[in-house]
Amino acid sequence: MDENKKIIQVLVAICFLFFIIVGYLTYIQLFRSRDLMANVYNRRQYKIEENTARGNIYDRNGVLLAYSEANGEVQERIYPYGALYSQVIGYSSKVYGKSQIEAAYNNVLLGIDDLSQVFGMVSGSNYPTRKGNNLYLTIDHKLQALGGELLNGRKGAVVAMDPKTGEVLALASSPNFDPHAKKLEENWQSMIESPDAPFLCRATQGLYAPGSTFKILVTAAAVEKGLESKVFDDNGSVVIDGREIRNSESRAYGKIDLKRALAVSSNVVYAQLGTELGMESFVDITYRAGFEKEIPFDIPTSKSRFPYENMNKIDLAEAAIGQGKVLVSPLHMAMITSAIANEGVMMEPVLVKSITNSEGKTTKELKPVKLGNVMEKSVAEKIKIMMQEVVTSGTGHNAAIKGINVAGKTGTAENELSVKKKAKAHSWFVGFAPAEDPKIAVAVIVEYGGSGGDVAASIARRIMSEYLSN
Amino acid sequence: MFEIILLLVKVVFTLVIYLFILGVIRLIYLDIKSMSVSKVHNAGFYPYLKLINRREMLNFKVEENYILRKSVTVGRNDKNDIVIKDPFISGIHAYIMTENGTVRIKDMGSKNGTFVNGVRLNEGEEVPLKDGDNIKIGNVKFLFVSTGR
Amino acid sequence: MRGAITYRWPLSLIAVFNIIGYLFLFFSDSPYNPMTLAVGAAATLIICIACFVIIKKDYGDEYLILIVSMLLSFGLMMIYRLDENLGIKQLIWVAIGFVMFFVFYHVYIKVYKWDRFAYIYISLSAVLYLVTLILGKNINGAVNWIVIGGFSFQPAELCKILFVFFLASYFKNPDNLFLGERIRDERLRVLSNRALLMLVAYCNIGFLVLQRELGTALLLYITFLVVVYVFCKDLKMFLLNSAFIVPGAILGYFKFYHLRVRIDAWINPWADITDKGYQIAQSLFAIASGGFFGTGIGMGRPDMVPAVSTDFIFSAICEEMGIFGGVAVVLLCMLFTYRGIKIVLGLRDRFKKVLALGIVTMIGLQTFIIIGGVIKLIPLTGITLPFISYGGSSLVASFIALGILQAVSNPRFDRIGGEADG
Repeated sequence: MDENKKIIQVLVAICFLFFIIVGYLTYIQLFRSRDLMANVYNRRQYKIEENTARGNIYDRNGVLLAYSEANGEVQERIYPYGALYSQVIGYSSKVYGKSQIEAAYNNVLLGIDDLSQVFGMVSGSNYPTRKGNNLYLTIDHKLQALGGELLNGRKGAVVAMDPKTGEVLALASSPNFDPHAKKLEENWQSMIESPDAPFLCRATQGLYAPGSTFKILVTAAAVEKGLESKVFDDNGSVVIDGREIRNSESRAYGKIDLKRALAVSSNVVYAQLGTELGMESFVDITYRAGFEKEIPFDIPTSKSRFPYENMNKIDLAEAAIGQGKVLVSPLHMAMITSAIANEGVMMEPVLVKSITNSEGKTTKELKPVKLGNVMEKSVAEKIKIMMQEVVTSGTGHNAAIKGINVAGKTGTAENELSVKKKAKAHSWFVGFAPAEDPKIAVAVIVEYGGSGGDVAASIARRIMSEYLSN
Repeated sequence: MFEIILLLVKVVFTLVIYLFILGVIRLIYLDIKSMSVSKVHNAGFYPYLKLINRREMLNFKVEENYILRKSVTVGRNDKNDIVIKDPFISGIHAYIMTENGTVRIKDMGSKNGTFVNGVRLNEGEEVPLKDGDNIKIGNVKFLFVSTGR
Repeated sequence: MRGAITYRWPLSLIAVFNIIGYLFLFFSDSPYNPMTLAVGAAATLIICIACFVIIKKDYGDEYLILIVSMLLSFGLMMIYRLDENLGIKQLIWVAIGFVMFFVFYHVYIKVYKWDRFAYIYISLSAVLYLVTLILGKNINGAVNWIVIGGFSFQPAELCKILFVFFLASYFKNPDNLFLGERIRDERLRVLSNRALLMLVAYCNIGFLVLQRELGTALLLYITFLVVVYVFCKDLKMFLLNSAFIVPGAILGYFKFYHLRVRIDAWINPWADITDKGYQIAQSLFAIASGGFFGTGIGMGRPDMVPAVSTDFIFSAICEEMGIFGGVAVVLLCMLFTYRGIKIVLGLRDRFKKVLALGIVTMIGLQTFIIIGGVIKLIPLTGITLPFISYGGSSLVASFIALGILQAVSNPRFDRIGGEADG
């Protein structure tokens, strides 16, 4: 009967509608549940938090850096070292949310993972207290403390890494702030409005002109082009297309090769070198070094900039001495330095060494990840040798450590205030030691600290010798 | 510990629900299958039983036709191929066998007897059926229809 | 030979389901609440015994009643868990519902000639609508409740059933129902009949719209379309009537503020999550937080969802019984619809066919519309989930519909003879 046929059509249509429901439900659970659970307006999240003993955070050696204390019904997050880790670990506040590691590893710290979500084990409210997982950072507390101490409230950053594995040994940033929830609430407004920007993690997100530290990359480009033995004329200053580029204090070094030029940080030589290399070389080496690329890291980072669409001679000259439009973060400089120390291979920076559950069993351990090849091993070796010259006989002598071969490069970066003579230049130092088998690479910047060879190099020396003396 | 119990309960709970759904689906499937025993659209190849009583006079569910594709049992018990919930029909009342084109009926020891053309069968007695025979099982009267070859 | 699994298995599974559920609720409470055991026992007994009686005494299709019993169990357990008092009330309504089931089953069978009462259906509906308009209380934006001495019920639920009866009586005698004898000219008669059919249908829908019951109006409209599609000889009526959705939707959109709100909330609840989108957002949170197996009954936070015992009961089920639980409910509704349609297919009498199709379509669509609205598949409407949502009127009306459906489906009473029109 024709009617029956139509009735069956109706049945099929209704069943089809029901199947759509089933599909949509499954879609929600598979693809949207994570966002939905994390949504700020989902009060279940807070219930989970209240019901979970949030995991602890330790340094690589087990020094306790963050833990939760039950205060009646509420849990309070305690940071024994306060401001020192405020920009690495961040804060965890009901009012202001979470930042840095506390945010990035929130699910881990609360013990939420996909499997338990499937079984709905996460958001029950009547469960007995759940326990979160603990984090072991790659940070070495002694180094971090030393870094903070040496910065001494000045604006700047100290980044130390293991060049072979990418583990970040220290990530000190200054100024910082007290991350305890109560203090946050008291000071939030003033901190937000402060021109010192205490929330900014300068180590990872501060962008500065690298100054002469950039010359290590330029040298690599030169070596690749076969210019390492070239001899340049250094008369203390040079004019390129009407722009005068001078050495520090206009010192003239006469006829010097690249090795010497790097050691004394001759702007004149590098300016000329820059014009000779040409834009393609620059773009090539900076691309390999990771400029204009996202740096994968556990906490937010800023991209280093090399934004030239085209470069005239002045651009080339300025870029070659690390000024102009070149911008770099201290973390990235440390990564580049590490690459040179690590035979040209850049490793992915890591902040979390391992994750353990509440019973102490290790559930996840970091495995070093290669990011890319910045330069050939042979080139890196040559740069290494030149960087040692910087420390033994060049501008980086303040970084020398007795009995250890230190390689490095100073940088004195002009900034908008220093060009107007209103303040000093930024003081940079990058380096690694021991040169023959690098265990630590550092990048130090002190804003308005003056010559790189003074302030930054000294800090770098202290950091490296502290680490190597153990 | 609690977590494990909770997980177990949840899984068992879900299992119960789906076993139920499966059970219902199975029932429906069986129902459809047994319906095909009584489909009206008989191509005419198989013999069938045609109900003589008026259906609305009967207090129980019974079909108009039962197609005899293969041997079937008749009775009140759910396990039979042809289930008729007539209180005067025994649990397993009769057995209709189809073999090589011949159909025979056998009484399975029923309380109220199986009648063919008014004659009551003895227990275990097998009687061949021909087109036009009247069969009475309990209160239900059938006409046996078989297409001649 | 029939398989070993008869109706006993599913029935006992329903009992097991209830027992595990209520026991778990009981033991996970601290301190222990004896009421849980009482309600659990009562629920299990009432549902299982009623189910058993219906099957044994052959009150129609056993599969339908099994499915409904499971749905009732879902709903009752969830509602009790959400609110003890509501749970007890719902239990009482379920009991009343079963009674109504039996009553209307017998009423339907005893009364012949249901198809002659078209005018009664129309007038009764009209009376109910008018009474609601005049006496109705405005609850949650819809003026569709009548409160008599502490008991509130929605006449709209009864009107739904009356409407289906009307449709059945029309299609029993299409083109002839109205003014059959008065108009001699065939073409004119057909036309006027069809026009009057549409008039009655849209008056129903119109009244519901006046009451702000947009969800039920939509339900009636689609049911009407389905019946017209199946039972009208040509497609003209169907196409004509389905075109009305366009002006209807546009008019509704501009006239009704709360319709706009619902549509905005459907498209992007996150934009106004504290206000317009709040309900939907909370519902989605609940669904997401249960995973596939749920948090466990009593372990989740469905109380964070507004109107959770009525409109959003499905979200609570998804939260605590998981996606598998929600899917189970959908499957059960699908099986219900399937089984219902199977019944419709087997009916020969026109009136019964239309009646059964109308009931099945309405229940099936209602389920789809509310579940779809709650998971943000379609905009939210204020209708209930049959047999599961809290609500006396909804429950009783559903049982009445079920009773009639069961009566219609019972081949014993295939008395109203005559072959259906070809």
